[in-house]
Amino acid sequence: MSFIPGQPVTAVVQRIEILKLREGDNLILGFSIGGGIDQDPAQNPFSEDKTDKGIYVTRVSKGGPADVAGLMMGDKIMQVNGWDMTMVTHDQARKRLTKKSEDVVRLLVTRKSLQDAVRQSMMPR
Amino acid sequence: MFCRNQSARATIARGSALEMEIRRGKFRQSIFMDTPQDSDIQKKIDYEIRMREGACKLLAACSQRDQALEASKSLLTCNSRIMAYMSELQRMKEAQVMQRVARRSSDAGPMDDRSPCKGKVAISDLRIPLMWKDTEYFKNKGELHRCAVFCLLQLGGEIFDTDMVMVDRTLTDICFDNTIVFNEASPGFELRLELYSCCSEDDYSAGSTPRKLASKLSSSLGRSSGKKLRAALEPGACSPVSNGGAAPLLLPVPPVPGPKYHLLAHTTLTLSHVQDSFRTHDLTITGNEECSYWLPLYGSACCRLAAQPHCMTQQMMSGCLRVKLGGDPQGWTNVYAILKGTNLFCYRRQEDIEANVEPLLTIGINKETRIRAAERDPHSKAQSICISNQYGGEEVTHTLATDCREDTQRWMEAFWQQFFDMSQWKQCCDELMKIDQPSPRKPALITAKQGSLYHEMVIDTSDDIGTVTDILARRIEELELRAQLDAPPHWMSLFEAEAPGSPQNHRNHHHHSDSPCSTSPRSHHAWPRDLPPTSGRFRPRTLSLDAKLSTLKAQRGYGGFQCSCQSPSAGSVAPRPSQTALSCSSSTSSNSSSEGSNSPETDLAFSRPSGARRSLRNLRAKLDPRNWLQSQV
Repeated sequence: MSFIPGQPVTAVVQRIEILKLREGDNLILGFSIGGGIDQDPAQNPFSEDKTDKGIYVTRVSKGGPADVAGLMMGDKIMQVNGWDMTMVTHDQARKRLTKKSEDVVRLLVTRKSLQDAVRQSMMPR
Repeated sequence: MFCRNQSARATIARGSALEMEIRRGKFRQSIFMDTPQDSDIQKKIDYEIRMREGACKLLAACSQRDQALEASKSLLTCNSRIMAYMSELQRMKEAQVMQRVARRSSDAGPMDDRSPCKGKVAISDLRIPLMWKDTEYFKNKGELHRCAVFCLLQLGGEIFDTDMVMVDRTLTDICFDNTIVFNEASPGFELRLELYSCCSEDDYSAGSTPRKLASKLSSSLGRSSGKKLRAALEPGACSPVSNGGAAPLLLPVPPVPGPKYHLLAHTTLTLSHVQDSFRTHDLTITGNEECSYWLPLYGSACCRLAAQPHCMTQQMMSGCLRVKLGGDPQGWTNVYAILKGTNLFCYRRQEDIEANVEPLLTIGINKETRIRAAERDPHSKAQSICISNQYGGEEVTHTLATDCREDTQRWMEAFWQQFFDMSQWKQCCDELMKIDQPSPRKPALITAKQGSLYHEMVIDTSDDIGTVTDILARRIEELELRAQLDAPPHWMSLFEAEAPGSPQNHRNHHHHSDSPCSTSPRSHHAWPRDLPPTSGRFRPRTLSLDAKLSTLKAQRGYGGFQCSCQSPSAGSVAPRPSQTALSCSSSTSSNSSSEGSNSPETDLAFSRPSGARRSLRNLRAKLDPRNWLQSQV
C-alpha cells in the first residue's frame, strides 16, 4: 500500500459513507486517526510498510457512526470527500474530517484484507 | 636598480653578469653566491609566492565578502613578507659582496664588538581607541559605516598579521586579541605597527558605482566599471621572472579584483617602549576623512610590549667552580654553577638541576654587581673571581675559583657578556617579563544562520485568547511534560498479552468500587486525584495541569488499548457521565473492568472534548514528536 515515488498510487478501495452524528454542538464521527506526513511512521502499528505516512484509522468507537458505516480499525484513508489524504499532515487530515459544514463524509479506504482478497481472486486458478 | 641600502652602499653595476643573473631570477642556482641562509630565505620567498598565488585565486573565486576580506588580508601579508624577504636577501648578498671586496683589499681586523644576545619580543592586547562623533555613536544616525581592519606587525624579517576585525559605529575601540611573539629580536629592534583598513561597503570594481546600483549588481560589474577593471588587469600579473628590461625587481602587487586595504595608521615601537604593563603609544595617521577607509582614530594605540632577552631565560654559562663559603676562610666547596638571568646558581651537583633541588648558593648578578678577577695565588695556575654585591647596606663578596686559567677566562667572558646584555636590554633585565604563548589560531568561524530552537507553535484560528494564555502559562511545564511523556508508547500494550491496564493510580474519592482497577506495575506516574468527569460537560479551564495531563494521557492511551478490544467485553454499559474516565482502561478483554474499557468509548461517542482540552492536547502532542499523534474525529 505504500507508494513508489514516480508511480501513481494504486489501491483497492472501499467506499465508506459516514453520517456525522450531532452531539450538542459537535459533529462526531466516532473514530480516531493516526499518522500524517509530519508524524513518525515507524510508530504506526497498522501500516505494513513502516515508511507509510498515510492516515490510518486507529480506533473505531463501538456503535458510532463510523462503526455503523463499516469503517474498520487499521484502514488507511485515501480520500475524504474527494480530498486526498495520502500526503497530508495529521492536522490537515483531522480538519478535513471535521468540517462543520459537512454532515456526511465519504471516504475511500483501503485495507490489507481487501488487497489480499482482490489479489486472490485475480490469481489464476 | 637596487634600492640603496643605507648600511651597505654597494650597488651592482648595470649590465654586469651578476645583475643579469639576478634579474633572470636565477641567482638561486648560482653556485658562487649561495649560502645556507640564502637558500633558507629563498625557500621562504617561494613559499610566500605560492601563498600569494593561492590568495589571488581565492580572491577571484570567492563570492562572500568575509572571505574576500580575509583573502585580501592574506594577500597583503604575503606581499609584505615577500618584500621583506627579498630586501633581506638583497642585503645579505650585498654584505657578502662587501666582505669579499673587503677581504681582497685588506685583512679585516678581529671583530671586537660584542654583540648583545637576542631575545623574544611579544606584543599583546593591542587596542586602538576610536573617536566617533557623539551623534553618530549614540543616536545611530546615518548609515552604518563599516570597515574591516587588521594590523600588520613587522620586526626584523618577521611579519605577522592580526585577525581581522569589523569596525563600525558601535565600537569604541578596535581590539586585537592576538599575542604576537617575535623570536630573535635584537635590543635595537624596531617593531613597526601598521593599521590597514578597508571599507566594507565598497564594491569590488575599480571604479565607483552608485551604491544602489552596486547593490543591485551584486555579482556583475557595470559596463564602465568592468572596462576599468579590464584595463587595470591588462598588463597582466607581473611575476618576478617575466620581467622586461626596466621593470623593478621587487614585485609590484598584481591588480586583483576585490577589497583593497589601505594604510590607515602606523607607529614604530622600540626597546624604550617595552614595559611589563600596558602603555599608550602615539599613532601616525595617514589618510584623511575623505578616504573611504577612514576611521576616526583617537590617535593612540595601547598595547603591552614585553621582551625576554635570552640572557634572562637561557643558561648563558655553566660549569664547575669552587666557591668559598661563609665562615671557613680556607674551605672551598665544589659546585656546579649556572649563569642565568640575574643570578648565578650554584648547585652541589649537576644532577640537582633536573631534580629541582634548591641551589646551594645563589649569587645575584645584576647591574650593581662588581666582578673582578684576582690573582689569588701566584703559584697556582688558577685565578679567583670576586663577586661583590650590595645587600642592604652591606657589601657581600663571594669568591670563586676555577681549575685553570682558561676556565677563568671563559667565566669572565661570560660575566662581561652578561653585563653587556643587561646594559643593552636595559629595563628588560630587571625582572623577567611574562610572555604568554599565543594559542594556535582558530580558523575564522563562520556562524551559520541559527535555526529556531523551538518548535513552532501552531495556534489554531479556532483557539481563543484563553487558550493562548494557557499555552503561555504552561510553557514552563513543557520540560516536565517531556519527561513524563517519555513513557513507552501506549500501543505497546497491545503486544503484551497479560499486561494490565494503563498505569493509573489515583486518589480519586469517586472511584467506583465496581470497576476494579489494576494498577499496573509499570506505573510511572502518580495520577492526580481530581480526575474530572469528562463526559458531556465542558471542562472548566481552571482545572489543574495534572488533570489535563491525565486526560490527555488517558485519551491517547485509549488508542492503544482499544485496539485489542475487538470483541469488547460482555455487557456494554450505558454511559456513565459521572464516571471518571481515567479509571483504568485495560487492554485485555478478560479484565472485568468493562466500564473502564467502555467508558472511553462512551466518552468519545457521546461527548466531544472541550475546545480547550483539545487544543491543549494538540499542543502537548505536538510538543513531543516522538509520540504518534492520534486525533479523534
